[in-house]
Amino acid sequence: MRLLRRFILVLTILLSSFLLAQEAPYFVTYDHHLEEPRNLEIATSSTIGVPRAGQKAYFAPYLELEYGAKAWWTTEFYLEGQSTRGDSAVFTGWRLENRFRPLMREHWINPVLYVEYENVNEATRIQKEIVGNTPDFGAPNAELVRERSHELEAKLILSSNTHSWNVSENFIVEKNLSASEGFEFGYALGVSRPLSTMASDRQCRFCRENFTAGLELYGGLGSTEGFGLHNTTHYLGPVISWQVSDNAWLHFSPAVGLTRESNPVLLRFGYSYEVRGFGRRLARFLRGRP
Amino acid sequence: MKLFVLLVLAGAAALAVGQNSHSKTDPKFVAPPEAATKENPLAGNAQAAAGGKKLFLRSCGECHGEDGTGIEDAANLQTPEVQKQSDGALFWKITNGNVKKGMPPFARLPETQRWQIVSFLRTLKPAKEASPSGGNPPSSPKGR
Repeated sequence: MRLLRRFILVLTILLSSFLLAQEAPYFVTYDHHLEEPRNLEIATSSTIGVPRAGQKAYFAPYLELEYGAKAWWTTEFYLEGQSTRGDSAVFTGWRLENRFRPLMREHWINPVLYVEYENVNEATRIQKEIVGNTPDFGAPNAELVRERSHELEAKLILSSNTHSWNVSENFIVEKNLSASEGFEFGYALGVSRPLSTMASDRQCRFCRENFTAGLELYGGLGSTEGFGLHNTTHYLGPVISWQVSDNAWLHFSPAVGLTRESNPVLLRFGYSYEVRGFGRRLARFLRGRP
Repeated sequence: MKLFVLLVLAGAAALAVGQNSHSKTDPKFVAPPEAATKENPLAGNAQAAAGGKKLFLRSCGECHGEDGTGIEDAANLQTPEVQKQSDGALFWKITNGNVKKGMPPFARLPETQRWQIVSFLRTLKPAKEASPSGGNPPSSPKGR
């Protein structure tokens, strides 16, 4: 089992250096656009935490598989790991996520319901979302991996497209089923726009239309045991994504910590690759058709 | 181990329900009158239509085919039934999709790019009518 975990961690880290996927430029915020039906997106994303005095730098990659089951339902599976400088590299767990679109048409504000199950340990650092109060970054990995938690997370995603801008707001609530911590809360806000709204008539890699830029703000809001901004982490940073080919994207975001409890800087980068018609091809393969 | 088995089963279920089996045309998929009357600001712009082709191949070709004739359950965009619809109606359909029937909304594309796709759709002709060069943008695509 230990060998399997190490293998998965190594695979995750390796893939993070040359694979990954997502169309919106955000790292934490979700907009209302789901994966297209029967498409599979393979993505890796990594977070580098620049430490404060007394803390250690860490590198936290994850691998994401996103499948468009229906036009109104997207399901995702994550594997994640973490490596802390001067400490160790560990596998931190997995997540299963589902997003549902309740309204069948585009509206001024478009809601999406998000439900995620997390089986992670306390060494997790990917910070795919931030909830509750400041996590303990000081303890050694060997100690943190022993504390495994089963968590349920729900998000209300609200998103609008107006004049080529996307504005998204996420409201997050999380419950650790392994401990009596109450409910933890968080938020994520994002705004973005493509650098050009008109597609050129030629294939190009560096055209402005292939770049989307924006701003992202996210953080924790405490819990039912103490709601508010006290002892919470918050980050603000620009986000940029570059469509490097018809079905591959690169993403980057240097976020700045806004509170004393936050890391001074979080560097995030990722790569995503979309396998179009994956479900259709798989079904044909299983039926024995070319 | 049980969790991995559950995950595999969940994945298989997602794949299974992901196989849509809807008819090629949905009579209920109709644009509202106010949307159907919108005019394409890029009508007659050959360059916009060429850009639209690139977007079409990227976003629509997987289901509708590179020539728009439709793969499996997606509509054939060359048919008179589709081509007689107004630019505004096609724009509305691209924007909103037909989510219940498996077509996702493409509102993530900027409005200009959705109009570019509409311009490209106007260049699609049934195979027997298509010009050897692959078709040119229509001279007066407005109001259809």
